[in-house]
Amino acid sequence: MSGYTFDPAIIWQNLPNLLGGLLLTLEVSLIGIIGALVIGIAGGAVRTFELPVVSGIVRVYVEFIRNTPFLVQLFFLYFALPELGLRLSGFTVAWVTLMIHGGSYNVENFRAGFTSTAAGFREGARALGLSPWQAFRYVTFPIGIRTAMPSVTNTCISVLKGSSLMVAIGFPELTDRAVSIVGQTFRVYEMFFTIAIIYLVVVWALSIVMHWAERRMAIPGFSI
Amino acid sequence: MSTDWVGPVATYMLGGLRTTIALCLITVVASTLVGIVLGTLSVIRSLPLELALRAYIEFWRGLPTVVSLFFIFFALPTIHVYVNAFIAAAVGLTLWASANIAEIVRGAIKSIPRDQFTAGAALGLGWLSVMRLIILPQALRRMIPPLVGMLANLIQTTTLAAVIGVLDVLEAGKQSVERLTLQTGNPHAIEVYAAILVVFFAICFPISQYANSLEKRLVV
Repeated sequence: MSGYTFDPAIIWQNLPNLLGGLLLTLEVSLIGIIGALVIGIAGGAVRTFELPVVSGIVRVYVEFIRNTPFLVQLFFLYFALPELGLRLSGFTVAWVTLMIHGGSYNVENFRAGFTSTAAGFREGARALGLSPWQAFRYVTFPIGIRTAMPSVTNTCISVLKGSSLMVAIGFPELTDRAVSIVGQTFRVYEMFFTIAIIYLVVVWALSIVMHWAERRMAIPGFSI
Repeated sequence: MSTDWVGPVATYMLGGLRTTIALCLITVVASTLVGIVLGTLSVIRSLPLELALRAYIEFWRGLPTVVSLFFIFFALPTIHVYVNAFIAAAVGLTLWASANIAEIVRGAIKSIPRDQFTAGAALGLGWLSVMRLIILPQALRRMIPPLVGMLANLIQTTTLAAVIGVLDVLEAGKQSVERLTLQTGNPHAIEVYAAILVVFFAICFPISQYANSLEKRLVV
């Protein structure tokens, strides 16, 4: 690294700017994660019940989103939708894309949770005279969301990391700000060192929160 | 409605697609090799080695991939390595994908009960023979479905190269849209991006379906 000296002062100078970016990263990620959970639970339930037509639509949504690049979906929403008269702000496109993407993974996560482990319990509930809806509401759902938690956690983390791709549409989140600072100052190592630490800390924090939720939700004496 | 624009745009984007395919092939081969070697090394019980592997895996998996790509792209010139964006993207994607593949391989090998090492040793087999004859044949079967799934993921992720300026299919599409806007006032962004979505779907859907069927066959 001849000729390059790591200057921590650069980090302090740019920290307020980067933290402003982090705030936007967290905002779009949080909205995206919550939306993805709603889509995942609703879609997972639809797929579990195999509701005619709707279940097929959900399957097409899941397969299409999971088998096309996130970045192309982002460009479609940001650059192509205005042609249909729908011009969305960078902020809206960011959380909508993250929500659609995370949602498609969560549908599969929750479907797996609802169908696999809970199968025996669901039959038990039906045998006890519960209606299909009651069996879902009181048995499949509470057990299924617990089973799905580890994979849901992974999806939440990938939504958070996916927010960094908003750099491609110039939305000023954390990565975008770091990249433009590097473009102006060439302080490559200071900036990427800083955002790497920030991302790793935020990802760890998120997984700690999710594991805490998992433990809080665990049924005593009943491990899934 | 004129369709004159389609020909030149399609030709330009096919050139981009060629770059995408080249990037896929290089990254798939390089990351599979690196990933399998690193994943297999993780069975060796040595603390420094384990720590180094964990650091490699956690770091390149934990960082958003686009951040890794930017970092490689900007950092290489500071150590006087001047390569184009394509090489930078190939290196960045390989680091990320090899970390994921190493984790898959490690997980598959660890899923084989350790007793089998002991049993193999009791039969008089050396460490390498135990690995080659007992552990790896079983682990290989378990790692194939997630590896195939990873392949579909990797193919999609190569589009991130466009962010650092590689003229792949996505960047070619984006430039075409910009050019059409300037020349005709009609960007045709819907057709261009829909075409890219369809191309990736046509490649990745069969792969991920195959990965699913492999997984189901394994469960039984």
